[in-house]
Amino acid sequence: MKTTLVWTIQFLLIPALSPLAVGVTRKLKALLQNRQGASPFQPYRDLAKLLRKDEVISRDASWVFRVTPYLLFTLTVAAGASIPLVSTALGNPATGDFLVVVYLLALGTFFLALAGIDTGGAFGGFGSSREMLVAALAEGGLILALLTLALLGRTTDLFALAGGIASLPVTDLAPVILAFVGFFVALLAETGRYPFDNPATHLELTMIHEAMILEYSGKRLALIEWSSANKYLLFTALGANLFFPWGLAGSLALGEIALALTVFLGKALVLCAAVALLESTIAKFRIFRLPDLLFTSFILSIIAIGLIG
Amino acid sequence: MDRSAAWDRYLPPKAAISEYGRIAAYELQPGEVVEECRRLYRDLPLKIITAFDERQETGAFRIMYLFGVPRENRFLAPFIRVQEAFPSLTPVIHEASTYERKIKTFFGLIPEGHPDPRSIILHENWPAGLFPLRKDFPGDSRPAEAAGEFPFRRIGGEGVYEIPVGPVHAGIIEPGHFRFSVAGEEILFLEPRLGYSHRGCEKLFETLAPADRLRLAERISGDSSYSHSLAFCLALEELGGTRPGEQAGFLRVLFSELERIANHLGDIGAIMTDAGFNFGGAQGARLRETVMRMNDALTGSRFLRGVNRIGGGISRQIPAETARLIDGELRGLLAEFTAVMAVADNSHSLLNRLEHTGTLAAQTARDHGVIGVAGKAVGFSADARVDYPYAAYGTLVPEVVTETGGDVLARFTVRVREVRNSLDLARRALGGLSAADDPVAPEAGALAPNAYALGIVEGWRGDIVYLAATDARGKISRVDVRDPSFLNWTALSYAAVGNVVPDFPLINKSFNLSYAGNDL
Repeated sequence: MKTTLVWTIQFLLIPALSPLAVGVTRKLKALLQNRQGASPFQPYRDLAKLLRKDEVISRDASWVFRVTPYLLFTLTVAAGASIPLVSTALGNPATGDFLVVVYLLALGTFFLALAGIDTGGAFGGFGSSREMLVAALAEGGLILALLTLALLGRTTDLFALAGGIASLPVTDLAPVILAFVGFFVALLAETGRYPFDNPATHLELTMIHEAMILEYSGKRLALIEWSSANKYLLFTALGANLFFPWGLAGSLALGEIALALTVFLGKALVLCAAVALLESTIAKFRIFRLPDLLFTSFILSIIAIGLIG
Repeated sequence: MDRSAAWDRYLPPKAAISEYGRIAAYELQPGEVVEECRRLYRDLPLKIITAFDERQETGAFRIMYLFGVPRENRFLAPFIRVQEAFPSLTPVIHEASTYERKIKTFFGLIPEGHPDPRSIILHENWPAGLFPLRKDFPGDSRPAEAAGEFPFRRIGGEGVYEIPVGPVHAGIIEPGHFRFSVAGEEILFLEPRLGYSHRGCEKLFETLAPADRLRLAERISGDSSYSHSLAFCLALEELGGTRPGEQAGFLRVLFSELERIANHLGDIGAIMTDAGFNFGGAQGARLRETVMRMNDALTGSRFLRGVNRIGGGISRQIPAETARLIDGELRGLLAEFTAVMAVADNSHSLLNRLEHTGTLAAQTARDHGVIGVAGKAVGFSADARVDYPYAAYGTLVPEVVTETGGDVLARFTVRVREVRNSLDLARRALGGLSAADDPVAPEAGALAPNAYALGIVEGWRGDIVYLAATDARGKISRVDVRDPSFLNWTALSYAAVGNVVPDFPLINKSFNLSYAGNDL
């Protein structure tokens, strides 16, 4: 019974809270810019609106265009169920390996890029091309950052890994911190945040993620927006619970789970605030400076691995 | 009016001059015009080239070339009379290109020797052989829809592809089509295609009732409503021989500067937004709004519409108390603006985006006759407020701001410095207002017949030129409107070439040209 309950939480937490994560980030950004901003619950209303709307699909669209939103959503939910959110006592032997999670998400990115070029629009084409540039370069930093943890925790299973990192002595944390910086850069790249992409832009020519999905409307757009939000919260959760796993429940006791949930929300809020602060204080980078930054992420993770004694 | 020393210096010795206020017009044979314009262009800025359909009166079209004598506020206007074709100046004076293309499109006169005589503004759906600014074209008719294809310039080569953008955009902006030729992310060539907001304004000036013409001028380019209407008023006041009073002069300076401040603040914010510096973007929008509210409090119109009167009268007096209040607000605005710019100046990531982006070479700018903010950013010190003083700019002389970089940063900095200067000018104008004691504006007089007059105003983008002409009965027979965008659009592509596609919106924003003002 308890296991079912915790699994339910594990499954639903990401899709249920992801719009809130996006909304909170937007609200914090607004406040940092002396604006009032919309309610943090606005993304839910936007999704509800889009789900009710009719959609227009180009005559030239193939099955890839039609299927991608569903696939993307499924993949992000599956990935959400594969990472430690509240308790390390759960285990997901099927998809709980960090490589599996990374490539579940990469599969989604791959299909999204295909959908971008599927209709033959000019913007989708260069959106996909830029996304592939960023994704290919971000992958190295991401994998190596997680590999650092895997080497420290001597496992690639994310649930066990979180428990392993939590029990490390403080003196061994230097590589974790370094790997986290590398991971955070990859997070910004993978979730289309500053300084890589501007999620709020209306300028077609500067878009990456938004350019790929310009042709979508209605329900499919809702699913894609929701999936992007899932991905954002998922990365936030990875950062919060793998690099700073303190506060995760070690068992399935309800009291512990409730506490772990609260701690998780707190940690996620801090990461969202960091993203909001970044987006309010720096300008977006020129596209050709992005590889340098991703390379930095890669190097940081390599140094982190080197530091493991 | 005295014969100006400026005229004597530049006029050809044997020319038969017709004087129209500040303009000295003299006829040339079509064969002489290229050489004469080339001679004048060596020292003087070309302000406008335009045509007049005078076939009913003289049996010919008149093409007039207007050169300004800066600081002396005089103009030289050689003109030719032609039937079907005229010699193109473009091979020797490149900036004549778009003027001549416009004459070809709207009057059906062929610029002989023009290297690129494609039509502008009117599109393929406009029937061939129909020229809307000819007098025999009825302005209220709706021509049949034609079809055709516009020959864009093509760039070939391996891996080169075209990106068509617009005229419908993802944001709420004016319509314009941009055809990029791109290799990877680098822009090899860019051709803007405009004309989507063509409304037939120049024809409307000929047909509308006199009272409606001023309202039309206010709507040529919405963000420059005041400057456009002022330029039109200046032209008509010159035709009517009216001299606006001292108070009108100060008011006109005040409103002109408020318009400049509001738009510059909006642009400064928008440039920061487009560079992805969100804090600055939000602050720019906020500061602009405070000025729009001042406009509203002063005149009842956020865009200063319905404020100008031909003759210099105003729709509403400004009570001394309101003037004091606005003065305080302007002072507060300067403090807030300084605080915001201190944050922006400290952002390396912002400066990195602005610097060396969209650089316009000074020579390219000179060849295309670039004016206004974009011109000042390459070091041109042309400014109609100083070169051809109007309103109270004779006493409230502005400092002309120039930069040398020619990049987005230079255009950004020109705006920042102009905001500071304009705040000062606006406050001085407010001060002058209370001392001026001629509240009664003269009535606009009857217009001189068979005359030409010019209104030239430094709008926030650059100088706005109105050239108005009257017929034998003293009725307006033609108004040519030259928004600064008409010239600066031609140089935008050159600033974009060599940059990456994602930087184009930023470059475009740093020019922030008017589509409606160009399309008319």
